[in-house]
This record gives sequence, structure tokens and C-alpha cells, in this order.
Amino acid sequence: MSTVFQRVLDNITRVRGVRGAMLVAGEDGLIVAESLMEGVRGNAVAALAASLQKRFRQAMEAAAVGMPHFLHLQGEDGTLIIVPAPDGMLVVAVGAPDMNVGLVRLEMLRAAESIS
Amino acid sequence: MASDIKAMSAELARDPQSVVFLELGEALRRRGQLEAATGVVLGGLEHHSELVEAHDLYARLLVDAGDFRRAQQVWSGVLERSPRHLEAHKGLGFLAFRESDLETALEHLELALAADPTDPSVVRGLQTVRGAAAEAAVETAAETAAAAEEVAGEDRIFAGLEGAEHGLLLMDDRGRVLGGRLLGAQGEDVSDAVAAFLAGAAQEAERTARMLGLGEWRWLVAEGPEGNVYVTPPTAETLLLILRDRSVPSGRLAMLAERAGDVARQWLERQQL
Amino acid sequence: MTETRAVEAWTLEPLERFVAESGARLTLLMTPAGQVLAQHGFMRAVDVMSAAALGAAIVASTGEIARMLDQHEFAALNHQGVQHGIFLGAFDTPRGGLLALVVYGPDSSAGLVQLFFEELARGLVAATPAEEQPKAVLAANFEEELDRSLASLFGR
Repeated sequence: MSTVFQRVLDNITRVRGVRGAMLVAGEDGLIVAESLMEGVRGNAVAALAASLQKRFRQAMEAAAVGMPHFLHLQGEDGTLIIVPAPDGMLVVAVGAPDMNVGLVRLEMLRAAESIS
Repeated sequence: MASDIKAMSAELARDPQSVVFLELGEALRRRGQLEAATGVVLGGLEHHSELVEAHDLYARLLVDAGDFRRAQQVWSGVLERSPRHLEAHKGLGFLAFRESDLETALEHLELALAADPTDPSVVRGLQTVRGAAAEAAVETAAETAAAAEEVAGEDRIFAGLEGAEHGLLLMDDRGRVLGGRLLGAQGEDVSDAVAAFLAGAAQEAERTARMLGLGEWRWLVAEGPEGNVYVTPPTAETLLLILRDRSVPSGRLAMLAERAGDVARQWLERQQL
Repeated sequence: MTETRAVEAWTLEPLERFVAESGARLTLLMTPAGQVLAQHGFMRAVDVMSAAALGAAIVASTGEIARMLDQHEFAALNHQGVQHGIFLGAFDTPRGGLLALVVYGPDSSAGLVQLFFEELARGLVAATPAEEQPKAVLAANFEEELDRSLASLFGR
């Protein structure tokens, strides 16, 4: 993995509660780079996050609020966050239900900027 | 195109049992050769009476020929064999709409949407029918005070809540608006279009949470350049959407969603009584 | 909605689940020799036969390239077009290797197809019936066998 990708992912996974971070090809739902704890299914996170982002993009366009630049899915037992980068790549993080979303969001927005 | 038709005709002549009749019938129909297309399809159906796609094509030819009654029968037959057949639901939805039977039209188009939430023609069809249904409701409301009271009641689900008139929407899991309203950037009503797309998006949220071990999904926040959206399922079969401009932080959206969710649940309970 | 049909009934449920979850437009389940076990979305027998032959040939030729390079066989191939993508994956079952040829549209993705392909493979392994004496496909009964398969795949 390129050192740039590794560094941006490490900055995200360093936040407490984060179980994994990845860069995903948005249209394909395939992993570009990953930094995951054991037990996190990288291919499933990549494919489902890309599909979720695609579906919400349609709904948000219909609502005339434009392309989403931050998506946060909250489950009872965990959290998924997606930040699209300008070149079609997605920065994705998965973690505990109570992870520090503010900090993760900040790192993910930085990551999206730095990989563009 | 003409050479394709020639090649397919030759193939069918060589092998009258070939399923190429379907493609040939469709090609002839697109060229407006309805009589020839009908002959090909009926000939094919003699050998392949079980092929639902052939019945669907026949029904569309009947519509082209103006025989709506027969088309309806044929599509109903398709649904008996294949209850989730997208084209049959679309066709029956269209026929019902033509007959001003908006309820049946909505029912078929919603089933079509459930079969393929990404089909833009279904979304557009639903928008048209729902628009017509809303107009019809207003007309009826003008005629009878009781009906007017009922319609107004639905619009007032969120009465008193911040943004009730333009940024709160309650819908069922098939993309049907139950109450509230969403207005777009130019003040146009985008409730139906958003609800239709959101049904598919919520299914994806549910699947994502389940497959990634996130447990039951609670809510989803999406931030866009022109506004923020908060989506949550107040009950298993419904979705609540809150749309606000970017100045409203997600924490406040969550608080508003909690209140709106309570109101929606109470309203839904009242509907079931 | 097009139907899913199978020559081998045990393949039907895992394949239907795969189609529903992945959003695949067309799917062919076959042996490495190109014998079709089940299909979804195909309208014409001739298309099924051509796709099966081509899919099997692609897997055979890439397998040969892998062998020449002294590599493991490629488990999956993906070709992304402008509107549609084609995925070809191989997996083992207690009854031998199988191939899946999948065509998907813009409402799905390579990632989703790959993810649910893994589930399809697991589902088929679990659903495989107990071993029975393999039937040799002889030239004499080949046509009959083919007719029977096509009848199952197209419901006639």
C-alpha cells in the first residue's frame, strides 16, 4: 500500500473506537487500501458502503441537496461513516457505536482532501 | 435493424420453435409493424405458452392496438405466473391510471418499485399518479367537508413541529408518502420523488447494518452542499425523513427526529384503531 | 422481473438469493465444461449456450496461462464496461468445480457481485446433495440431455 494511503488510514484508525478504515473505489465498491482490525470483512464494508452511498446520492439529488459529502449510518452495535473524495474514491470508517464521530469525521475529511 | 429483423425472421423460419420470436416481435413492434409483431408473438406463444415475457410483449402490443381490456387480462395472467413481474405491474398501473383508478395504479406501481427500486420509469410513473391522486384528493375535499378534514389531518401529522410544512416526511417502506412534505430548492414539492428513492436507500441501510454486524440500524445522517438529511425508521414499516439547511447541526436534527418520531408513532397508532 | 430456472433443483435457492442480493441482470451457473446447471435472466437458449461455451473457454484459457506462469488458477475475472460489467468466478463444491458468469448493471457493482458470489459459493456447497454416480455424457444421449436441460432452463 502506498505510504500516503497508509498514513491517512492510520490517522483515522488511531481514533478510539474505530475498528477499520478503508479507501474504496466508489463506482466499483472494491477496496483500494485498508487498515482493518481482525474480524472486519473488508470486501463487505467496501461493497455495501459504496452501494449505500450510491442509493443515498439518488435520494439526496431528488431532494435537491446535492451530492452527499458525509454519510453516517448509526446501528445499535456499530457505526459506519462514508466520506466521498472528489475523484470518486470513498473514505470509509467502521467502528463502535460510541466512537468519537467528530474526530473521525475530521480525519476522514482530511483524508479525502489529501488523496484527491 | 432491418438486417436484424431479416436474420431473426430467417432463424424463426428455420426453427419455428426458436425463442427468437420474442426479439423479433419486439423489433417489429418498435418499427410500428404491429400486425406483423402480433402474428410473430402469437405464433411463438403456440410453442412457448409458459414464457411470461412473451405474454408481456403480447399485452404491450394489445395496448398499442388500443385493446386495453384484453391487455389487462393478459398482464393479470402474467402476474398469476410471476407475481413480481415488473413490466406487468407497470402495464397494469398504466391501464388503471388511464381508467382513473388511481388506487389500483398506485398499488401496481408500488409493487413495480418493490421489484426494481432503481427503475426511473416507475419513479416517474409514481410521481405522476401520486400527483393526480393528490389533485383528486383536493377536489374531493372541496366536495365534502368530511373528506377535507381527513386530508388536512394527514397534512397536519407534524403540525407544530419546526419545519412541518417543508422539511418533514413520513413514508412507508414501499416509498409511499404517509404525511408531511418536502420542498425543493425552488419551493417545488419533491416528497414523492424523494420517498421513492429513499425506500431503496433505506433497504440498503438495513442490509448494510445487518451484514456488517452493526445491529439494527437506528438512523442515518447525510450532509450535502445544500442541506442535511436525517433518516430514521420510527417503526419497522415506516421511515421518517428530516431535511434542513446546512446551518442546522446534526445533533439538533437528532432531537427533532426524536420528537417527530414520537408524533409519527402516535399518528400511526391512531390510524390502526 | 425475469425468472430464475435450474436444471439441478438444489442450485435454485442459492442462485435466487444471489440474484436478489447482488442485483445481477444475468447469471449462468455451469460446470467448467460449459454444462449449464441454472440460469437467471436469459431469454434465448442460444444465448445461454453461447455464454456458457464462452465462459468455460475463458476460464480454461486463463487457467492455462496461470499454469504456464506456475501460478494458482485465477479465482475470478471482472470486466467493467460503460453500462454493464461481466464477472466470471470459479469455486469448488463436493461435486467438483463450478463457474458463475454474471452480468450486472449500474445499479450493482463489482464489489457487490463479488461479495454475494462468495455467499453463492458457500450456499451451493451447503446445498450440494449427497454424491451420486456421475452420469457420463455420451455422444448418443448428448442431444437428449441438452434438450432436457434447455427445457428446464426455459420452462418448456
